[in-house]
Amino acid sequence: MKKIILFVFALALSFSSCEKDDICDPKTPTTPRLIIEFFDFENPSIKKNVTNLKVLGEGKTDGILFNGSQTTNGTSIAIPLKTVGNSTSFSFTLNSGNPNLALVDEDIIRFNYTTQELFVSRACGYKSIFTLDPTTPYTHTDASAANQKWIKFISVEKNNIENENETHIKIFF
Amino acid sequence: MKHILRSFFSFFLVLSFAVMQAQETTPKGAVPKPIAPQKTTLEKQTKKEPLQLVPTDVKTEKKNSVAAKTDRYGIRVGLDLYKVTRALYDKDYKGLELVGDYRLTKRYFLAAELGNENKTTADDRVNFTTKGSYIKAGFDYNAYENWLDMENIISIGLRYGFSTFNQQLNNYRIYNANPYFQETPIINSGQKFNGLSASWIEVVAGIKAKVFNNVFMGFSLRLNRLVTNKEPENFSNLYIPGFNRTYDGSFGVGFNYTVTYFVPIYKKKIKPAVVPKK
Repeated sequence: MKKIILFVFALALSFSSCEKDDICDPKTPTTPRLIIEFFDFENPSIKKNVTNLKVLGEGKTDGILFNGSQTTNGTSIAIPLKTVGNSTSFSFTLNSGNPNLALVDEDIIRFNYTTQELFVSRACGYKSIFTLDPTTPYTHTDASAANQKWIKFISVEKNNIENENETHIKIFF
Repeated sequence: MKHILRSFFSFFLVLSFAVMQAQETTPKGAVPKPIAPQKTTLEKQTKKEPLQLVPTDVKTEKKNSVAAKTDRYGIRVGLDLYKVTRALYDKDYKGLELVGDYRLTKRYFLAAELGNENKTTADDRVNFTTKGSYIKAGFDYNAYENWLDMENIISIGLRYGFSTFNQQLNNYRIYNANPYFQETPIINSGQKFNGLSASWIEVVAGIKAKVFNNVFMGFSLRLNRLVTNKEPENFSNLYIPGFNRTYDGSFGVGFNYTVTYFVPIYKKKIKPAVVPKK
């Protein structure tokens, strides 16, 4: 009989330790970002590094952070889309911060999509996934008409943005 | 954590009842204390009248064995106090659980719980209301050896639980690991998921102590494991009436804190085990 009490006590104790499961694990796949890869326009199968690319979301004053920095020199970026509304506009500035203003080039891309909300878990709540508009997935404009667009071609690889494991957009320049 | 702490305290409260009961000897004062006192009277008698030693010896032995205990059999019915009182201080909760058991044999009881719950759970990211009823049926095994005619129970048991319910998602938030646009709107939904059900197995460790006459106070801890679970589409059964909160796996916990009334139906005499004489 004492053993039973002890057993119940141990049982209750073991459960008191597994209470805090209401923090969303960062490894859980939740709302995905848009994955963009950069390629050489002249040689479309070769990835090309951007130089000091700054991506600014509409209505924001600070650029999206890439590894803690607002500019990147890599071949791919991940940018978050708005979960409210059906489009998000970004300005892509090449050679951002360069003193030679002739090199600084800004293009604007607006992505059009529909969202769907999927249940993840108690801790994470819901996530949004996106489907790019099949007819006009994006609109590409130049910020200042004076210079040319630095982005030559945009290719939509995946219409459904469901995770961050695949490239959704390819940009050739 | 708060709930588990509360259950600890309730558990020890009931334990303390059991201790009090175990030490209370007043109502049983009339019953002769088994061996020790009679031996002394016997000795006194032998000192006074050594010739009558043999017949009294036999008589006292016989009387001793007549003090055999009778076990009462019947139905115990009552309700879970925790669920009833919780509705008083928690506006997001309404619940009722009726409990009952029927004594089958000396140690086995048929046991069942019948309940209804209406609970709104407000988590960080989801807020939902669960409404439904449940039934649990199974048995308890009393592992406690009672003295004399005490009727306390320390039991281990099994139940099979079944619940039908509906969920209403009141509002939710979208998780975004990269809150660049700083949107965390709370989205009102009101979507209702009907016709849900779940069933599970429960292991019950319980204790019931007779507080007076036929009234028992009891406490039980339960470990649940889901067997079937009909989940809503694009939501989850985060709370199941009777099963309580669900976790990532299929396990859950529960407890109740009952007051029950015992309705005796018949009595059975227990033949005392024959103690071999030295």
